[in-house]
Parts: sequence; C-alpha cells; structure tokens
Amino acid sequence: MQRRQALCSLMGGSLLMPAILRDLMAAENPLAPRAPHFPPKAKRVIFLYMSGGFSHVETFDPKPKLLADRGKTHDSRKGIQYFKPSQWEFKRYGKSGIEVSDLLPKIGAQADDLCVIRSMTTDHTNHSEAALGIHTGSVSVTRPSIGSWVSYGLGSENQNLPSFVVLAPYLPYAGSQVWASDFLPGVHQGTRVTPGPNPIANLKPRVSPEVQKTELSLLGQLNARYGKGRATDPKLAARVQSFEVAWGMQQEAPDAFDLSKETDATLALYGLERGKTQGFAWQCLVARRLCERGVRFIELIDSGASTSNNWDSHGDMKDHEPRARNVDQATAALLVDLKSRGLLEDTLVVFTTEFGRTPYNDKPGAKGREHHPEVFSSWLAGAGVKGGMTYGSSDDHGIFVADKRVHVHDFHATILHLLGMNHEKLTYRHAGRDFRLTDVAGEVVKEILA
Amino acid sequence: MRFVLCNSFALLLGGTALAADLKPGDLEFFEKRVRPVLVDNCYECHSTGKKARGGLLLDSREATLRGGDTGPSVVLGDPAKSLLIKAVKYVDDDVQMPPKHRLTPEQIAGLEEWVRRGAPDPRDEKTAPPSVSTIDFVAARAFWSFQPVRDPGRDKSIDGLVSAKLKEKGLAQVALADRGTLIRRVTFDLTGLPPTAEEVDAFVRDRAADAYPRLIERLLASPAYGERWGRHWLDVVRYADTAGDNSDYPIPQAYLYRDWVIEAFNRDIPYDQFLRMQLAGDLLETSSPEARRDNLIATGYIAQSRRFGVAPVMHLTMEDTLDNLGKGLLGLTIGCARCHDHKFDPISARDYYALYGIFASSRYSFAGAEKNNRPKDMVSLVTKDELERAQGPMAAELKVVDEAIEELLADKAAFKFESREVATKGGTAPEGKRWKYPSVKEYDNAVKAMNKRRFGLLDKIPETESAYGVSEGTPRNEKVQIRGEPDRLGEEVPRRFLEILGGQAVPADEKGSGRRQLAAWIADAKNPLTARVMVNRIWQHHFGEGLVRTPNDFGKQGRRPTHPELLDWLASRFVESGWSVKAMHRLMLTSRTYQLASTDRAKNLAVDPNDELLWKWNRRRLDAEEVRDSLLTVAGKLEPKPTGAHPFPAKNTWGFTQHHPYTGEYATRARSVYVMQQRIRRHSFFGLFDGADPNATTGARPQSTTALQALFAFNDPMVHEAAEGLAKRAKNDVVQAYRLALARKPSADELQLARAHVKKAGFASFARVLLVSNEFFHVE
Repeated sequence: MQRRQALCSLMGGSLLMPAILRDLMAAENPLAPRAPHFPPKAKRVIFLYMSGGFSHVETFDPKPKLLADRGKTHDSRKGIQYFKPSQWEFKRYGKSGIEVSDLLPKIGAQADDLCVIRSMTTDHTNHSEAALGIHTGSVSVTRPSIGSWVSYGLGSENQNLPSFVVLAPYLPYAGSQVWASDFLPGVHQGTRVTPGPNPIANLKPRVSPEVQKTELSLLGQLNARYGKGRATDPKLAARVQSFEVAWGMQQEAPDAFDLSKETDATLALYGLERGKTQGFAWQCLVARRLCERGVRFIELIDSGASTSNNWDSHGDMKDHEPRARNVDQATAALLVDLKSRGLLEDTLVVFTTEFGRTPYNDKPGAKGREHHPEVFSSWLAGAGVKGGMTYGSSDDHGIFVADKRVHVHDFHATILHLLGMNHEKLTYRHAGRDFRLTDVAGEVVKEILA
Repeated sequence: MRFVLCNSFALLLGGTALAADLKPGDLEFFEKRVRPVLVDNCYECHSTGKKARGGLLLDSREATLRGGDTGPSVVLGDPAKSLLIKAVKYVDDDVQMPPKHRLTPEQIAGLEEWVRRGAPDPRDEKTAPPSVSTIDFVAARAFWSFQPVRDPGRDKSIDGLVSAKLKEKGLAQVALADRGTLIRRVTFDLTGLPPTAEEVDAFVRDRAADAYPRLIERLLASPAYGERWGRHWLDVVRYADTAGDNSDYPIPQAYLYRDWVIEAFNRDIPYDQFLRMQLAGDLLETSSPEARRDNLIATGYIAQSRRFGVAPVMHLTMEDTLDNLGKGLLGLTIGCARCHDHKFDPISARDYYALYGIFASSRYSFAGAEKNNRPKDMVSLVTKDELERAQGPMAAELKVVDEAIEELLADKAAFKFESREVATKGGTAPEGKRWKYPSVKEYDNAVKAMNKRRFGLLDKIPETESAYGVSEGTPRNEKVQIRGEPDRLGEEVPRRFLEILGGQAVPADEKGSGRRQLAAWIADAKNPLTARVMVNRIWQHHFGEGLVRTPNDFGKQGRRPTHPELLDWLASRFVESGWSVKAMHRLMLTSRTYQLASTDRAKNLAVDPNDELLWKWNRRRLDAEEVRDSLLTVAGKLEPKPTGAHPFPAKNTWGFTQHHPYTGEYATRARSVYVMQQRIRRHSFFGLFDGADPNATTGARPQSTTALQALFAFNDPMVHEAAEGLAKRAKNDVVQAYRLALARKPSADELQLARAHVKKAGFASFARVLLVSNEFFHVE
C-alpha cells in the first residue's frame, strides 16, 4: 500500500484530507525536516562509539618517547608510574603519511580521508560518566544525547524510519541514557536496534498482511467517525498519521535490515558472512543502508559495559586485539563503500570513545592500562572535514594535551557546525532556561573544516 | 626578600610600586616578556570588556593581584605558590591555562621570573572588580509569586472568576459535556481507570440533583484514587526503585514510601502534614508506633535523591535534593544557585549552601554502590530490642566495625590525597592530626578489609524491617562551593531558609540538622508558594494545564498565572480546608468549568487557541499508566492488589558494577504504579508512552504521538493479550465488546462495520482495533 493511499483509508475512504488538517499535522510532526541555521556540509552522521576507552598511544597517537623511556618513572598525581610503550608498531599511511598502529591497519589505509584529533579531552575518569560525556556533554546529570539534539534540530528525511537509530548489541555504560532524549520530545530519543533477526521492537506483524490491512481500514473508519466534529484537534490527526508511519516502517524497516540483495563483493568488503545478522560488519553495512534511506543520526556501539569484551583493557593490552579485529575491516569498508556511492560527501563519520588509557602503569611490569580522560584520540571523516590531517597533539608521553585542546564540548560544537547548526543557537527551553548540547562552552574547531 | 615581606600589603593596597617607581630593567622585562604573553594568551577571557572567567581579570596590576574566585593570582616572589604559574604549568588537572594550548617553556619561564621579581607592573589602570551580582531582595519581593496570597473572598467562585476573564475577551464557554462523557472523564481523572458500562448507565439514568457529587464521593473513597493521585506525586518526587548510581543498586525498601504516598492520598492526610512528614518525619512527635513508622517511611522522599558514581558523590546528590525540593514543593529552580547566584530569581549561592547545610547534617540511607555493595544507614522500623535480638552477639562486632568505617571515612575527608603514597596536605584535618596509614593504598586496603568484615556480618544477621529514608547526622554549616566545585570552598553559611521567603535561621542552640524547622517553614500557610504550587498541580491534573503552565517554575522564567485571582482563591480555600486535597477535588470537579464539553468553537479558537481562558475542557490522550491499566481492565486481567516488595535478587549476592549493573523488569498484572521502575534505565513501556522521568522531577508529562507507539498498537503482546481477554469476556459479541471497552453501545453503522470485520478477520482482530482506536485512547 502506498503511503498516501494508506492515509486516505485511515481518513475514511475517499475523503480528501482538508488542507487545514495537513498543516496542523505538519505542525504536530516534530520529525518534519527542518532547515539548519546555515548551509550544511553534512546531512547525516554515523557515530562509531568504541565502548570502554581505547588506548590512544596504541592506536592513533604514536609516542616514540614512550619507547625511549620504557620503564622510567613518572610522578603523577596518583603516585609513581612507569612508562609503558605501545605494544603495536606504527606505520605511515597514504599521501598524508598519518601514523596509525598495526592494531588498525585497514582504518590506517584510509588515512587520507581521516582527520585524526590527538588532543581530545574529557571530564571524568569513570566509564559511565565519561560515556555520558561523549554522548551528552554532561558527566553528571542526565541530558539529551547528541543524536537527539541532531534529530530535534533537523528532523528526519524519512518519515518511515526513526530519525536516530542506535545499533547496539549490548547496553553500554550508563545504559540507554546515552541515547535518551531526556527533556527533548520523546520522538527524538534513539531507537535501539539489537543486531539479530528482529532488530526493532514490535516491527514484525503478528498477523498476516491481509488481516492487518483490514484492521487498518477498520481503524481508519472508526477514527474517522470519532473524528467527526473533532477535526480541529491535531492530536487525533497526528495519531492517525502515526499509524501510517508505523505501516510504512513495517514495510521499509525490514528492507533496511535485509542484506540479501547486497552483492558478494560488498559483503566481502565488510568481511560479513552471508546470512549473518550480527557483528560490527553487520552494523556498518546496515548503517550504510540507513544512511541511504535518510536516517539522520546513526550510532554504532561496538560492544557493551562488560570489561571482558570491550576496550577496557586493565589486565592486558592484548585484549585490544579482538576488539580491533571486530571493527577494523568493517569501519574501513564503511568509508570505502560510502565514498564509492558518493555518500561520504554529505555524511559525517565519527570514530570515538569515552576516554584514553594511561601511557603508564603503577607497576613496572603491568600489562594493562588504566582510564585516562586527560587526553585521547578520535577521528572524523567525510562531509566537510579535511582528510589526511592530524589535529592537536598530546605531550611527548601522551599524558596531557600539548597543543590545540579539543574538549568534548568543542567536538560536539564542531559536529553540529558541520550539520549547519550553531551550537549556541540549538537550544531547548526546559525548567526555566535554554539548554544546549554544549552547556555553556564549546568552540568549533575551524582548522579541520574543509 | 623585600617582595615576600610586603606580600600581604601588596594585596591589600593593590600593589605599592607605581609605574613611575619601576626599575628600568623591570619595566623592559614586563613589556618584552610579560605583557605580550598576557595580551595574546589571557586577555581573551580575562580582561575588561571581554570576559572575566572565574572572576579573574589580568589587564591591570590591581586586578592581577586581586585575583579571581580562587584567590590572588600571584604570590609575589614565589612562583611555585602562584596560581597563575601553576595554571600555565598545568600543575593541577582542574586549572590549566590557557585551556587550548600550553605556553612555550620560554613564555612560562618569563612569567616565573616576573613573579620572582615581585611582579613589577606598570599597568596603573583602575579596573573595577567583575560585578558580583547582588540580588535586590526588596525589589524581588514585588514579583507575583513572592507576594502573599491575597484571598479574593469566600463569596467568589471558580466559575465566576473564569467567566469574568472570558467576558473581557468577549468569549463564552461551550456547552456542558453529556453525562456519559462526564463520568468517563471524572473516573479517569480520579482513579486512572475507565468506568464500567453499568456505572455509566446508572449515572446517566440518575437524575437526582446530587448524582454528580455522589459520584465524586464514590470515586474519592475508592482505593484506586490514591493509586492515581499518589502516582502524580511520585512524578514530582522522581520516585524509582533503584538508586541511580552507575550500577543502579536496587532499593528493596523503596516501595514502602510509594505505598505510603498512595495511602496518604487515600486518607487525605493534610498536605502541610504530608510535607512535614517527608522532610522531617523522624523528628516529629507521634502518638502511636504506627504513626511513628509512617513518619520514618515518609522521609524516603529525601532518600530518593539521585545517587551518582561508584561511591557516594554527596554534593551531586544534595543538588538533586535541593533541585527537587525547590521545583517540587516551592516551584523554584533552587538548583540553579549551586554554582552562582540565580540569574533570574532571587536565590543566591549562599541561599543554596544554607539549605545544603541542613541536608549535609542529615544521614541518607545508602542502597549500595559498586565500591561498597551493601546497604548502609537504613532507617530501622523495629524497636531497639528487636534489632538487638536479631543481631544477637554480632551486634557488638557490627558496632565496632561500623565505628571503624566511620573513622576511616572521616580520615579520608580530613586529608587531601596527594598521591598514592602521601595524604597529608590540605583537607580539613585539625592541627596535630596525622595521617596514620603508610600509604594511600594501605588505606584503601584497610577500607576494603573493614567493608568485607561488615558484609560478612550483614549477610549473617537476619534481616529486620527497615526503610530507605534519612536520619540525623552531624549538624554542621557548609561552605559555599565556588562554582559548585566541592574542593573550592568559600565562606561558611549558617543554615537557614531562603532569604526571599523569610530567611529564618536554624536556631543557634538547635542540636539537630534543622530539617524540623525547614519543614515548618515550607509547610507554612504564610509561605506564598507552597499552597499555590500544590493547588496548581491539582488544577493541572483536572484541566490538562495548570493556571501556571510551568508547574515546577513559579519564578521569572516560568509562566505567569492565567488567572492569578483564581489561583489565590484556591490557595486560600486549600489552607482554610486544613490543606485537604480531597476538598480541592470537590471544589474543582463541581465547577461548571470542569464539566464543559471538549468541543471547539471557531471564534474561541481564533482568539485563544490554547484555551488559556478555559472555554472548553481539553481532550487528552491516556497517559502511560492509564493505557496499561485500561487494557488490563477491559481484558478482565487487572490484579487489583498492590505488589508489595519487588522480587529483587537476594542482598548477599549483590556485586553490581558499572560493567554489570543491576537490570530488571518484573512481569505483573498489578496497576502500573506498582511496576518496578529503575532510575537510570527507563522502563520500555513507560518510556514509550511518556511516563515520568525517574531521573528528575516531572512537573507535566509530554503527550507524544509516535510511530513506535503505533507499532506497539499493531504488534505488542500486551495489546494482543488484552484483545483476546476482551473477546473472551464479550463472548464474541460486538455490542458487549463496545460496552466493555468504551462503556457504550455501538451505533447501527458501527455494528455493521464490526460484524463485517469479524467475518473477515475474526473477533480478536476486531477487539484489537477497538482497543487502539482514538476513542479508547482519549478522554474528553
């Protein structure tokens, strides 16, 4: 059934929708596309979030001095520490010659498209708080997620799919709060998709399409009768419309998640076995498909809150290896795939985590690393971002930011800027004041803008 | 050494060396090595006409020496002690300047040398200190909500006050709702449940003059009333069954507070008493053990404050206490004054810390957290004897362990940790007190060992009944936390009430926290906010919007009352009735305005599209609880009894961490108010239908309409089970299904439609459509 037809049936047979009602519905539809503050470079975001905190000095921030000073002591605020060099070597990639470690060689190979930020910093040393930080800008009280802000600011290009989709196999630290809309209208909250055969709750009809069609038709007729004499109430019209969207979602969402028509070459690029509905490769490929369908903000969380399978490698840095293997090829494939389809031109890809890991440990022979909010690395790629560059630096040992500090607020301000939004103007009135994603801080990192 | 000697004088006098007195070498040094660095790197945020971040200006000698919020920026002659130097050297994590990039080693060396020379500085300009916002309390009192409640007179009425406003605009109210609509409306409003067809029929037939008042009395007397109105209060106090720390520890006792709230509404406990019990129940005189028990449970209101982190982070929990107390009880955004004076309302940071001291002097029950995974400081509901009998010989040991833990914690609070080895510097340790552990690590081990002993004991001691509430702690005044940071302390503030509401002080000879006094100041008929805020909430739940449409904000940023006289008239009647909430229901529900139909009128819509003047009753979608409870009701599956305690895992198994936090959803057919709800993980169903936010006070719920809700209607098992239940109860009879679901008979046309559908798709399919129709989902 076509959308328009479905709507007509919901409105009661052949009745044309009165213009006033359509306007009311548009006013009532918080997901209607909205113009940004200025012409945007990026129309949508794919936000790759590595849960647990990956080690900057073992991925995107080479530190030769750490090798030279192996085992030497450093007097930190937490006492004497012993420097610990990266367990993986770094190589230069591409024309830009950006150094990336052997942990992520395939992402490294895309270096000329990456803008690697080596001077990220955040406000908390705990997972839950820092995970909230990178998602909401707040490490204490709950605030709306960046995806919710973007959905609120721009609406959605596809009314048959949610505007903010989170592909997450497990709950991350701080749980669903990282994609919650908090005080923003609930429609902007992230819709969590769990990899597997039934990715969205209640998406799968429990009755045959024929029965459902009859039900829709009866519902339309009952609602039309109830609507008589109540035509001026936009709530009723909006609810009628929501059934139309849900119907559309039932049709369109399964297709978005159906990878059967992807070619062998594409599957091979991502490293996805045909028929498999799990793993980061599945998440990345689905992300591309959602991107094609106009979903505004797509977040991919690689793992959850369990140390045994995330980046929180306290015990042994070797534990980074399976995590890297899970994301390296698929992430690189996503960039290649988006580029070949021309989507990288208006899609911003973000690769980040909640904090870095200490470049030292308090025991000389320790194999793992602890949490390190002082400095960490992230990268951006795609729409509006200069590729093949690094921005900012940590000091010789990767302990503090040495140059061009990028606080999480600055990072957020920059992402919003690329989407055509002024982070100081994207506000929502709540509890008597205007709230922002960037609180009262944040500056756009202009040097990385293409 | 000259500079060190005149250090304090220099601060007092704003520097003694005038430009003319500078040695030529110093002048040149300043111009070459200092001024350019300051201008290029610091003025952006620290100069007159730009910004004065942290209250600091660096564009004159005087201002540089005066410093900012954290004190003077230089200690003449001593670079190591100078904040300016520490900041540019990135010594501390919290102050690293400039924030974006570090100065070069040469630049830093230049500044150090400058300070060493005594900061010779030719900049004579006078710079006024960045303005310290001083609140003009006298002027502030003129704002409407701080004005005393002015009773327009008993002879006035809701309808009279509403009509007067309508007349001004030349508008008239629409007609009254029909009786079938009215009973559905008032039944949902008072109980959150749909009326039965029999109830509707009886009411429609009952033409006696007192039929409607009798209906109201029947509903007010039903236990379902407290379940509905208790839930409204639980929204305000952001009730949850878990603590909100990052492992979200369960609170098995929380339900006692929830049930008490429900019971309090059913018993119509006077609202002033209701508040006093929640703020200071443990300190009130009581006549019976039962009353004492209720008083203790009621303090769960304060304990419900959100917890943070892996161990208590009390300054954030306190903020949540004050935020809730402000918005919930007074309609004031007190939380805004944590970091600075409120920007719009007359609430100073000193006000905030004056109240903070009252709660910091109290002891909050602790549910457990990652680093300390057993409860502590629960409020015992059994007698001392019973408690001791239960603990038996372990009582003495537990006491020793508890005291040892107290001492360990006190030690940690007294000393500032320098590193893992040393913990001597700073802190609040009294003179002569020494850090007695060989290293911080040893200290941590001692804490761990002592906790382990405690857990061992707790797991052995048979549990006695307790509540999640508060008790008295060590009374103390708090210091202002500069910019809300607990380790940057300003002056001490004596405990007292908000200055704008009287500023009454906790008496100097008070031995307790001051909660008892605070409760009295809030639950005072003379307090201009308490009664207004509550009658506004009651109004809001009957009419869809409050007379003040920002129910949690009666300040400058909030909306002004649409009917100020009516608000005051209601507040006056409320106090006069002995703060009876049920009296308010009677007053509002018997008004003509409440009984209006939900029809529109073009002229009214054009003039007043949001119905601020109350010319109709606003149709509303069922809220989350009503949706679930109605579905269960019409399916004949609603369990009418409370659930009591939730089936949480046994305490001796608790080891929740942020990596493996507590999560649970417990299936039940009890009313929604009894469903277990976690603080940091929103319940999937209630989240979908705009249920209350368990993280923060919900003054008014949004009414969203989303495609995911429609997917729920299509495909959720809850709807499918309800439809099957309805089909069974209706014995596959369409007329009966209409009566059960919508409490009315179908029209001939509807009957025909339904029968045709049943033939094609079956009865359950028809029942599903009925249950997700706009008529089922709305009250008007």
